[in-house]
Amino acid sequence: MIEVHQLTKRYAGQTAVDGISFEVAKGEIVGFLGPNGAGKSTTLRMLTCFLSASEGTAKVAGYDIYDDSIEVRRHVGYMPENVPLYPDMRVTEYLRFRARLKGLRYRETKRAVAEAMDICSLAGVERKMISTLSKGYRQRVGLAEALVNKPDLLILDEPTNGLDPNQIRQSRELIKRLGERHTILISTHILSEVEMTCGRVVIIDRGEIMASDTPQNLIRRLRQPGAVMLEMSGDASAAKEEIGKLEGVKEVRRIHERKNWTTFSITTDPHVDVREDLFDLVRKRNWKIRELASRTASLEDAFVDLVQTTATASKTDRKADTGKRKAGKEEPVEPAPAGSDSAGNNPAGNNPVESET
Amino acid sequence: MRTFFILFTKELRSFFLSPLAYVVMALFTFLNGWLFASMVNAMRLRVSSRSLIYNLFESGWFWMGFFILFPLVTMRLFAEERKMGTIEGLLTAPVRTSEVVLAKYFATVVVYVIIVLPMFLFFPIFQMVTGEQAAFHSGALWGSALGLFLVGLFNIAMGTLASALTSNQLIAAMLTFVFVMLHYFLGFLHNFGVVPGSVWADGLTYFSTTEHMRALSEGLIDSRPIVYYVSFSAVLIALTHHILESRKWRV
Repeated sequence: MIEVHQLTKRYAGQTAVDGISFEVAKGEIVGFLGPNGAGKSTTLRMLTCFLSASEGTAKVAGYDIYDDSIEVRRHVGYMPENVPLYPDMRVTEYLRFRARLKGLRYRETKRAVAEAMDICSLAGVERKMISTLSKGYRQRVGLAEALVNKPDLLILDEPTNGLDPNQIRQSRELIKRLGERHTILISTHILSEVEMTCGRVVIIDRGEIMASDTPQNLIRRLRQPGAVMLEMSGDASAAKEEIGKLEGVKEVRRIHERKNWTTFSITTDPHVDVREDLFDLVRKRNWKIRELASRTASLEDAFVDLVQTTATASKTDRKADTGKRKAGKEEPVEPAPAGSDSAGNNPAGNNPVESET
Repeated sequence: MRTFFILFTKELRSFFLSPLAYVVMALFTFLNGWLFASMVNAMRLRVSSRSLIYNLFESGWFWMGFFILFPLVTMRLFAEERKMGTIEGLLTAPVRTSEVVLAKYFATVVVYVIIVLPMFLFFPIFQMVTGEQAAFHSGALWGSALGLFLVGLFNIAMGTLASALTSNQLIAAMLTFVFVMLHYFLGFLHNFGVVPGSVWADGLTYFSTTEHMRALSEGLIDSRPIVYYVSFSAVLIALTHHILESRKWRV
């Protein structure tokens, strides 16, 4: 459905997208991930023919984005970032205008608009002015607009940006359902969204593709040390020493102490589970256990690992994994930002996007 | 053509669904009505060898309204779409940029005609009310209508271009305002120390708004102003098209 080949976009003195290539097959839901300013929107704008590429080509629905731009646009439903709408139009009026603009006949328009409004649960606001709608409704109007002419491909630029948690959940369900009928390329930096809806993820940073795989594979490939949390009572310093001797344990840290309960954070070698050994040890010594948990890697960790450490020398190796890089291209060696060498130590819940370097 | 009409209708609707169109129309008609009344009064007190129409269109006061009118009707065309980001949706729909530009341009021309139309009713109304033979002939009426239409085509094209240049409506309005005013004052170069008769003076004067209006408002229809205004408007509209397309240039 989408074939991107060495697509490049240069603005004055700055390369926003640097020779990226990827493909999206028919029926896929692909998440386009990256920190702010990575080149996501620029890429989507090139694919929807709003901007032209400086170099490289792309085919959308079999048509070249430069030579057959009208045909491309006919086959794509695009929802731009922040969902720009005409505030002085009513919802149905706007949807009908857009449907007609996209080439629907007068007779089909009414039914198509009703159908799109039904899919996006817009009942009750048909006659409302767009300027009076809440953000959630606006988003749905934008989505209804994108799919009103039943395009083969939906390109959604940050569709859940600025929604409340309930609305995010609803739109996730909606996108999943839409995936049954359309191929979807969705750009976002909300990772849980991608993990739950997308079959495949393309991660982009500083205009280059870092990885392109299923979320599960990305997590599996992540060579991150395992981490176990243990809260126990007993002789804390003896425990620390003995846990440290267990096989596979790399580091033991005391992170919290209240009364006689101590919390340890235990770092292990990758893909080693020390929980059973820990339990045996605690039982043998007659200590007490209140909590024992292993922290599993998430897509967030994979994302942080791929995006935050790219400035280090390992960039070249990592990119070789993806098999998508240009041959013989010179990599500039950039200094590693302090504290970003071990992404695995990043506490969960810290949004990696905000700590962009 | 189909797309053009969809866009054209949308553009007209958004003009007449906003209060701006009515405010402009009311104030403009009021201003011209007042001017018309004072002109009639002046001609009653002093004998004039010219017709009412000629005197009206020759007066500087008459054009003042247009200095404001053109910026007001054109400033939002593209600047507003840029500001709100709707231009992205508009230009990623299967439409040609030329269709967008022409639809917006001609919708504005129609709005302009509707705004200016009441002014032409003054003359027949004057005749009806006074029961007197008005001091003009129908040729002058048609000629000046044509002149105003041509001036409109030209200045709206300029306003459309200015609006495509920026995402700030005020800047677009200021650009148009300055242009319309300069265009008018080119006819008064001799007041600014340019020697009449020189190539520069005559050449620049020929570009001016009032220059062609004089002949037209006497009922003298010449093909030269028609070619001049239409071709210049076409150039400005082509430039607008190129500016919108420039984001797609491969640089």
